[in-house]
Amino acid sequence: MNGFRVLCATVVVSLIAGLAVAAGKPAKGPGGHPDLSGFWMQSNKVAPDKTLMDRLPANTVVVPDAGAIELPRGDWGGLKPKPKALADAQKWEPKDDMSLTNACKPPSIIYAMQGPFPLEIYQGTELIVIKLEYFDMMRVVFMDGRKPDATTPDSKVGYSVGHWEGDTLVVETTHLEAGTILNNGLSHSNKARLIERFRVNAEGTELLSTQEFEDPETLDNRGARFIGWKKKTDHVYPYECDPTFALEYQKQQQPPK
Amino acid sequence: MRFNLGSKLAWAVLASVPAVALAHHSFAVFFDGQKSVTLTGVVTEFKFVNPHGLIVLQVKNKDGVAEEWKVETNSPSILRRRGWAPDSLAAGETVTIEGWPGRNDAHYARLRSAKRANGEPIGKPMGSDD
Repeated sequence: MNGFRVLCATVVVSLIAGLAVAAGKPAKGPGGHPDLSGFWMQSNKVAPDKTLMDRLPANTVVVPDAGAIELPRGDWGGLKPKPKALADAQKWEPKDDMSLTNACKPPSIIYAMQGPFPLEIYQGTELIVIKLEYFDMMRVVFMDGRKPDATTPDSKVGYSVGHWEGDTLVVETTHLEAGTILNNGLSHSNKARLIERFRVNAEGTELLSTQEFEDPETLDNRGARFIGWKKKTDHVYPYECDPTFALEYQKQQQPPK
Repeated sequence: MRFNLGSKLAWAVLASVPAVALAHHSFAVFFDGQKSVTLTGVVTEFKFVNPHGLIVLQVKNKDGVAEEWKVETNSPSILRRRGWAPDSLAAGETVTIEGWPGRNDAHYARLRSAKRANGEPIGKPMGSDD
């Protein structure tokens, strides 16, 4: 009898989920919000989502380097660095990053989120945890209204607060340590502010996201990226970084400018 | 808002770009994605470490003299999803590697695909399921 009840319940849940997809609404998660939880693999085969792209404000350039794509030296992807940031970027040498000291330092989430690595999302009503494979980074998004205070330190993941706007999770992050934006010399300062929007497609198979970032110390315009992920059955692997890899680069001549 | 990939055509072109780059250090700065290199040699070392793995090979040049080449791989976690493991390569094994050469003309390259002496592929090539 119990087995029959479980079967009936399973059928009803499946029917509801099927109707939700048919109606173009993703499955519900905690609090009745769209369910973003699970393992997601970054993919450039996910087309930019018009709903999210239309939300990007004016004076925003979409940098075309999400995922495996990276811009060559001197290409800022439409970002307008302020004079000092530009001078620093032009002086940058790749060897500086690939040193024993720096090779295993994580970038900030402005760069890390768009990398070609997977992430896992654990969704609650008061907290959402985003676990990145890249450098074992762990993000906590506070959904309970708390704010950073005067003692909140800067970090590579920053301090993130989120809220729902319809079917879209909106996350604002401050208190970011300075870090690379493009991995080719252009960096943001610790005054950078990041706004991310996340939603899933109707089938729940794609996680769609935009990130917008602004930094009054280094940029004259606002940057953005579209980042897409595909849902898969997998796990985030540990990222155990061996800094001695950098020795390979210290032995080499610098690549030509 | 300026969206460089505004048209579906532009997006399709971008989506079809081979996944030649990978984070941590810039592929475009260090490697030439417009060129390719094929190396057949004997493995002397295989490091399965982050931020990148490394294959060290002895490769005979056109004069028959063995020279050391180093081939950088993706992150091990990415390699695992392509069917690689820490013991995928053994010292003394002959392999053929295709990849992209370093921009500084050193004997340094980035892995795209690898196969054993009998032609068996080692894992899946870079970009096959990214």
